[in-house]
Amino acid sequence: MAAGYTPDLVERWFAVARTEEVVPRHVVQAQLLDQEIALWRDDAGAVNAWENRCPHRGVRLSIGLNTGTELRCQYHGWRYATGSGQCTYIPAHPTQKPAATMRVARFGITEAHGFVWVSLGTPAGPPQGPATGCEHATTLRSIYTEASAATIAACLLRGYRFALDPLGADESSPDAVVVAEDAYTLRAKSSHAGEREAAVTFFLQPMGASQTVIHGLLTTHGVAADRLAVLRHHHRQMTALRDAAESR
Amino acid sequence: MPRSLDDRETDMIKLYDFELSATCYTVRLMLSLLRIAFERIELDVYPGREHESPWFLAISPSGELPVMNDGGGVLTGVPAILEHLTGAYDPSGRWNPRDEPGVRHGIAQWLAVAGQLNATAGAARLHDTMFQAADIEACRAGAHRSFRALDEHLWFAEQSGHDWLCAAGHPTIADIACFPPVMLSEEGGISRLPYPAIRRWTDRVKRIPHFTPMSGIFNAAPLAAAPTSGRRTSA
Repeated sequence: MAAGYTPDLVERWFAVARTEEVVPRHVVQAQLLDQEIALWRDDAGAVNAWENRCPHRGVRLSIGLNTGTELRCQYHGWRYATGSGQCTYIPAHPTQKPAATMRVARFGITEAHGFVWVSLGTPAGPPQGPATGCEHATTLRSIYTEASAATIAACLLRGYRFALDPLGADESSPDAVVVAEDAYTLRAKSSHAGEREAAVTFFLQPMGASQTVIHGLLTTHGVAADRLAVLRHHHRQMTALRDAAESR
Repeated sequence: MPRSLDDRETDMIKLYDFELSATCYTVRLMLSLLRIAFERIELDVYPGREHESPWFLAISPSGELPVMNDGGGVLTGVPAILEHLTGAYDPSGRWNPRDEPGVRHGIAQWLAVAGQLNATAGAARLHDTMFQAADIEACRAGAHRSFRALDEHLWFAEQSGHDWLCAAGHPTIADIACFPPVMLSEEGGISRLPYPAIRRWTDRVKRIPHFTPMSGIFNAAPLAAAPTSGRRTSA
């Protein structure tokens, strides 16, 4: 777990999923810095980021059952409580209280800016947000990419395109400047006349050395008339980014 | 064991079946969802290769499974069998709506996709678990290409308020045909970690009333009786 990764990567937040995708009675299977994570929301709305490995026989908890208050391992039915990760029930020994040592390893988790953020360490402050003056924020579809974060950042720094071209004539020419806040946070700011201060902030989630999830947060001053058209436009840009990074 | 087409006098649907086959499971799943009783004639496909025996080739010349005999009519393969079952046994007309051209065309398209999924992810699984010959790298690469497209489709469907492959407001045979090869993909070395929309959709399929699993497929946790957060169950 996080072996070989420097403290600056361990002690920080990474976006790992859009908030609206961590749905009730579901377990999201995620991966950060080679660590597999079982991500789930209880019925009260609290999120958990657990090592994706049942302490009993190592079976993935992501195939288990989210009952709303606990995760139930698919293999032998061992149950682990939300929050503490403590084993609360072992079907084979129904009258015994499970040992306090039977607990799932947990990671730091928080929600902000439309995303669920996980840390393998204990960061001091909250995740850094988009830092634009815009009132409206929309999370874009996250793009799973077979490339390193560094490769993706290099491709992104070549430019990004905001303007939706209704005729689809020139979707490839960039019209936005991209700056990197750090190796995993980049911002494309629109210079298009009608899109005052619109920006997409890209949060890169390093799954491993050569696998990255590209998360995007679009911030605008007004709400777009055709929300789906906007989502599809940025989706086209981001999949082109993925294709460019994967072909490097 | 050898059987002939007129072995039994019963009116019950006969399904020539192999328990571990994803395509046979597709049919068993549809039969369960429609609550239809049927007689299962189990072949020892692996390791016995019974599907290559003369008695079965007389019924299905390609040796292909699943095969269904309903009242003397023999149907082979998932698309034909699902068409027949929904035509004859679905009074709701929802599983395979014939009156909505958009949905009908969508279903035809997704049945073709299901065939591709079985030919890639399904073939990878048969290679890894039953030593069936395959170009395993090509199968896995093909499966990932299909999964990427499927995940994108499902994500945008969710954004439009749809939970299923076709924009029909309820599941159709498109979902039933595509579900098994997707759900069993990890047995062929294809992880669904990069496809979160697919993973949410498979949970929804598992919650369809009268869903039935098979070896390697587990039930999903039921939804809460009344939503506590007011949040929609799909994104």
